Amino acid sequence: MYLRPSMVEEALAALAEGGPTTILAGGTDYYPARVGRPLTEDILDITAIAALRGIGERDGALRIGAAVRWTEIAEAALPPSLRCLQLAAREIGGRQIQNAGTLAGNLCNASPAADGVPCLLALDAEVELASARGTRRLPVAEFVRGNRRTARRPDELMTAIIVPRCAEAARSTFLKLGARRYLVISIVMVAALIEAAPDGAIAAARIAVGACSAAAQRLPLLEAVLRGRRLASGIGCLVAAEHLGELAPIDDVRGTAAYRREAARRLVARALDELAAEAAA
Amino acid sequence: MEARITLQVDGERRALTLDTRTTLLDALRDHLGVMSPKKGCDHGQCGACTVLLDGRRATTCLSFAVAHDGAAITTAQGLAANGALHPVQRAFIAHDGLQCGYCTPGQICSAVGMIEEARAGHPSHVTKDLTGPVALTDDEIRERMSGNLCRCGAYVNILAAIREAAS
Repeated sequence: MYLRPSMVEEALAALAEGGPTTILAGGTDYYPARVGRPLTEDILDITAIAALRGIGERDGALRIGAAVRWTEIAEAALPPSLRCLQLAAREIGGRQIQNAGTLAGNLCNASPAADGVPCLLALDAEVELASARGTRRLPVAEFVRGNRRTARRPDELMTAIIVPRCAEAARSTFLKLGARRYLVISIVMVAALIEAAPDGAIAAARIAVGACSAAAQRLPLLEAVLRGRRLASGIGCLVAAEHLGELAPIDDVRGTAAYRREAARRLVARALDELAAEAAA
Repeated sequence: MEARITLQVDGERRALTLDTRTTLLDALRDHLGVMSPKKGCDHGQCGACTVLLDGRRATTCLSFAVAHDGAAITTAQGLAANGALHPVQRAFIAHDGLQCGYCTPGQICSAVGMIEEARAGHPSHVTKDLTGPVALTDDEIRERMSGNLCRCGAYVNILAAIREAAS
């Protein structure tokens, strides 16, 4: 079965009946996982649903529709606090992948190396999940439960990602490390958001690391250390191994756990130094 | 399950009936006989199957044809309107931007789409100034063409061809 409805209600009715088991948007994770195998699942294609398109403001928050592709995020005029997400959007795969893949799909696929997740954690974002029973919102940290595991119930459709408005002064960045520059699965990625007062004092810091645990993690120990410090040259030196306690990297073909831990520490430090340099400029 | 769709392929309206699991690449090659998009890796890594889908670069192996009912598709063979080669195609020949040629139709479609994106001011990962027009430096061209692999390694000449075509 291949369903391609134009209304959210039709999609939710099909899911409520226990119909399609696979929800498809950009398909950039769907096909590579099935090369050489027969395609047998029933599919719900959500790309014709106009209500899931577009980026807009609602109730003071930014609403990114579930069918919004990486390219649209990269090209949109967004506040500087969302720079981390726009940087990630420009660095995911090549342009062809960015033209097809969606942020919502990146979340629902829930790879530990999903580039969108650390950005959304740093942005304190929520997801909107709809079903025939109603709509609920969940923080991204509660939605992504682990490797390929999410809190989405079988009859639910992710309809939007909601990014709350940040302070005017908030700035963010995104860095990732792969075995080569292009088209590889990330070994470590970091999203960092800092809100500093005019005198440089850090009012809020939200730092998240991906690909170093089953799901990307915030670094609350480091965030606590940063609060009240001055966002200035040398701030990266504050990042110590003990601040990465939340992470649980694995050994795999892309790198050892020890390498990932050290790479994460350096990438976090570099991200903070970049934000300090930007603030000084 | 079968579906009836129409595609506008290289300016021609084509109607087809196909299994809903048919990729856009297989629909073009096996159903419509449009052979310029190539099947390289078949999972979105190599870019050999790149076409312009409603003006945007797309890897056709990564999508179902049925999801693009009514779409306008330009393949490398459709770029040569009335037999006259597109400036990007001429530049690839002039600069020897290929060896075996298998990735070339995808490279050329990607280059055409990329030049348009840069003209429209769309930034890439290496764009420093996000407010001004995009200058297609060698770094910009390499970054923007990163979704197209050439296993013969003709990159130096591909870069030269695109640099000339974009200027």
